Amino acid sequence: MLRLTTHIRVIFALVLREARVRHGRARIGYTWAIIEPVLLISTMTFLFGLVGKGGKGSGFALFFATGVLAFQLYRNTSTYVSMSFDQNRPLFNYPMVKPMDSALARTVLDGMTHAAVIALVLCFQVFALDAPPPNNIPLMILAMALLLSMAFGAGVSLAVIRRFMPSISNIYMVIMGPAFFVSCVFFSLSSVPTLYRSVLAWNPLVHGVEGFRSGYYHGYQDADVDLFYLFTWVVVLNCFGLVGEWLTRFRSV
Amino acid sequence: MADTFSERMIDLKNVSKTYKLRAGRKVILNGATISLPWRNTAILGRNGAGKSTLLRLLAGIEQPDTGTTTRHKTISWPIGFRGSFHHELSGIENVRFVARIYGQNTEKMIDEVEAFAELGQFFYEPFKTYSSGMGARLAFGLSMAINFEVFLIDEVMAVGDERFQRKSKKAFQERLPSSRIIMVSHSMPALRDYCQSGLVVHEGHLTYYDDLEEAIARYREINT
Repeated sequence: MLRLTTHIRVIFALVLREARVRHGRARIGYTWAIIEPVLLISTMTFLFGLVGKGGKGSGFALFFATGVLAFQLYRNTSTYVSMSFDQNRPLFNYPMVKPMDSALARTVLDGMTHAAVIALVLCFQVFALDAPPPNNIPLMILAMALLLSMAFGAGVSLAVIRRFMPSISNIYMVIMGPAFFVSCVFFSLSSVPTLYRSVLAWNPLVHGVEGFRSGYYHGYQDADVDLFYLFTWVVVLNCFGLVGEWLTRFRSV
Repeated sequence: MADTFSERMIDLKNVSKTYKLRAGRKVILNGATISLPWRNTAILGRNGAGKSTLLRLLAGIEQPDTGTTTRHKTISWPIGFRGSFHHELSGIENVRFVARIYGQNTEKMIDEVEAFAELGQFFYEPFKTYSSGMGARLAFGLSMAINFEVFLIDEVMAVGDERFQRKSKKAFQERLPSSRIIMVSHSMPALRDYCQSGLVVHEGHLTYYDDLEEAIARYREINT
């Protein structure tokens, strides 16, 4: 019990500290962490809206926004968490601060940041661009929670591999680049021909992104979306990360 | 100061610790079993014998490969001048973080550290702008603001100007009724100033001496 309260105290202190450090000592502080992706997503939505005429017409902005929001939640958080062991190394000099605390703190912080970004972008879509309001918010939250858990598992797994092979981060970046184009960010799974659909469905991010959308849209075609498949990835990556961290603690210094 | 031979501080039981190097292994401890009484203890050993690693094992930052360490007292982190400070954060922000993880009263601790470390305006500047003396003053002041029963000191007492050394000594003497020190240093005068007993690290073995002078004699022997 005492250990649990210590962990919570440490994670809370780490969250505050990471929020302070992440954007340097800029006056506006952490608000920048929210403004930046909002601007980025707005610009991307505008550009893809010009190109992607074949998509959903005027509703394409919302369609793209829902996709990119869900995708970024996973990609940004997993990358951020994967660096947590290295970037917080001096702090492990305090006996109660453990590497897993820093990974958890980053997940909490990035989860909250992305939740704020998602809320802001979607509110803007609804109130300023007359987009339809979300249909099933609990389902959207479930998809986000699964993506965030997977980001934590993948981030910790990468951090563990980084203990032996720091170049894994470059490989991960190379993978996550094309992943943007095969994760249903700007097209729907149901619009893909059957032959390619079954291949695409191996990508767990497809199910997170499409699951998030099927919560937003009323009557979304989600016959091939399988959140349980995504959940399997969550379990596998988390097991690998947690067990791996436990087994490789001797490499932590 | 009442001597406290009878109170246990830290027990090591069959502790081994090795590091893999590119060429072979480096043995720090090889099945060390020892019970340290709650006294001011100097850690002596040659360069690279593993003194700092031993401090980290005692603090519980590193786990031994085999064996167990048991702490009977509250123990600080190893206080050194490299520190655990974030370079982008100011002194006050770094203090706030430590106050939070140790569940201390943040404002009270900030006042105490500010008064002790004498950083002036630098207390509000990023740590990266500090000189090494300023870093040491912050590190030492910060640890002194928490009532540990054992302070682990890694060389830090020997830095800073004479005035700061006097001040550190006075601050530490005020804590002597409730606190002890385990200290790594190559400066014999500093060790004699603070410690009564000694622990010699040599070739994977630990030997504890009740009398610091015996430990120093042994240390001289292995250095020749």
